[in-house]
Amino acid sequence: MDWHLLGLSFITVFLSELGDKSQLAAIALSGRCNSPRAVFFGAAGALLLTSLLGALAGGAVAELLPTRILKAIAAVGFAILAVRLLLFNNEPSADSEKTP
Amino acid sequence: MKLDSAPLDISGIFQAEIEPELKDSTDFNLTPAIALPVQSVVADSPQKQQSALSVFGTTFVTIFLAEIGDKTQLSTLLMSAESHSPWIVFVGSAAALITTSLLGVLLGSWIASRLSAKTVEKSAGVMLLLISLMLFWDIFTSH
Repeated sequence: MDWHLLGLSFITVFLSELGDKSQLAAIALSGRCNSPRAVFFGAAGALLLTSLLGALAGGAVAELLPTRILKAIAAVGFAILAVRLLLFNNEPSADSEKTP
Repeated sequence: MKLDSAPLDISGIFQAEIEPELKDSTDFNLTPAIALPVQSVVADSPQKQQSALSVFGTTFVTIFLAEIGDKTQLSTLLMSAESHSPWIVFVGSAAALITTSLLGVLLGSWIASRLSAKTVEKSAGVMLLLISLMLFWDIFTSH
């Protein structure tokens, strides 16, 4: 068991994830919902899946998947969540009608 | 005439009686049963009835899509490609990812407990908007 490599990969990924947008997303999403556990499992699961894909597929991940399109979908998704939160704040009674 | 005006009068009385009764403490047993369900349907249902499963799904999908091709994944790829034991790299990075997710969720819950609900929602909305902009910027600057 190569503890050195284990520790190195832990530290590298930890430092690169600290303050990364996925952590910011975890902070933002867990603050406002009633089940932070669901946010934790969703975030950890998503990150694990991406790193598993990375470990399995290697560099081919970027070639197989249209990265830009996926990021664009994610960006739009985050924007929708943000708009819902900000609009919901101003008009609580109309939220069900404004939700896209 | 009476038929036309009676419903209006009744509704007028109904509404007029509800408001003052909320301020009185004498009829307090009756009014919450009438007033609270209306409030909870209007204000709380979009938020509180959002099931844990949909929160999980939303979080999972958005973070998954955002992290594909992210620098963390790239560094994981590099390390596993250059090392002779990619699974050790995976275990180390998995542990780090779980830790950072846990830290993020704990921090978010702690912050939410210190601020008012409205502030939390507005901050969360702004943060998610920032993340969305960062992602768009990523797309346009990386290629």
